[in-house]
Amino acid sequence: MSRAICAAPVPLPVLVDYWLGDLDAAREDEVERHLFGCGDCCATLERFVDLAGGVRALVRKGAIAAVVTPRFVQTLARTGLRLREYRVPPHGSVHCTVAPDDDVLVSRLQAPLAGVQRLDLVAREPEGTGPLRLRDIPYSAAAGEVVIVPRIDRIRALHESTSTLQLIAVDDGHERVIGEYRFVHTPWPGS
Amino acid sequence: MQRRRNDPAADTAEQDDAVLARRIAAARPGIDRDAEAALCRRLARRVRLYGLRHLRDAHAAADLVQQVLMMTLERLRGGAIRDPGEIVSFVLGTSRQLVIDLRRGQARRDRLLQTYADDVPAADPSSAPALDHARLRDCLERLAERDRSVLVLSFYDERPARSVGTELGLSEANVRVIRHRALQRLRDCVEASTR
Repeated sequence: MSRAICAAPVPLPVLVDYWLGDLDAAREDEVERHLFGCGDCCATLERFVDLAGGVRALVRKGAIAAVVTPRFVQTLARTGLRLREYRVPPHGSVHCTVAPDDDVLVSRLQAPLAGVQRLDLVAREPEGTGPLRLRDIPYSAAAGEVVIVPRIDRIRALHESTSTLQLIAVDDGHERVIGEYRFVHTPWPGS
Repeated sequence: MQRRRNDPAADTAEQDDAVLARRIAAARPGIDRDAEAALCRRLARRVRLYGLRHLRDAHAAADLVQQVLMMTLERLRGGAIRDPGEIVSFVLGTSRQLVIDLRRGQARRDRLLQTYADDVPAADPSSAPALDHARLRDCLERLAERDRSVLVLSFYDERPARSVGTELGLSEANVRVIRHRALQRLRDCVEASTR
């Protein structure tokens, strides 16, 4: 049986739109009909689905550091993950740890975000590698907090130490610190 | 993308499906095992993807694959498909109807399983090579923060752009642009390690 090669492949962004439900009904029907008759486009979609599944698996292992949202944290809990959350007020401090059966750590940095044009995050890690600045992080002003999930394996590897995070608003080229957060880490006993 | 009229690529693939379907139908009252196995291998991947897309559950998608293939073979063997050349349309229509049934909680599954389960050739639809998760994690860490956030929020719960944009204070169009750009970078990075 000869193998057909698709002469008019559906572009990947359209396949992704199809997968995530971003197409209207008519376009979705077109893509679906093409996929049922085209092994090449199915293979392209399968590779994307595997990649997205890999991202999902890494999130479930707490293996990705990312800025997320309050609703996303609810979704993590709904999907059965064990969360450990620390909510820190602006210029506040918290004692923290990570238990052996925690799946995901969540840091909730409360901040006055109304009117902020751009937000940067500066992290000072205890290893003394110098500050790391993440520019233009996503946030929702209405949430009044920035939600971060750090890599849990890195936190587990820490000795007693203190990390500092800063949120910096960048408005018309001017910077101002709108929150500084200290995380005083103690390893889980026996770990 | 009118499939039969304007889509020569899909037409070519369908012709292969149609050849196999005609062989199965022509074998009546006998059974052409080779043709059935080949057709099931070809169709299983597509039905599985359809099931994952609409049911968002790997087990439910696997059940769908089995049910659709059983019904397809049942109809072909029984001469109940008027034109075996239209097999892809039949499979798509059957998949759609079964997903509706599954959502309603209706179970034709048991009856079909009792009757035909032993007759369905094994068709492993998962053909993609295993993903290197350590490599994927490294590539994700190289993305800009906003790009990574959009991918994580989009892929974890398979959410449309509008929903993700609402949470991040971005427009739907902006999320799609970021998502596409970030996905391209991620794929390039992951695939670079396998070349």
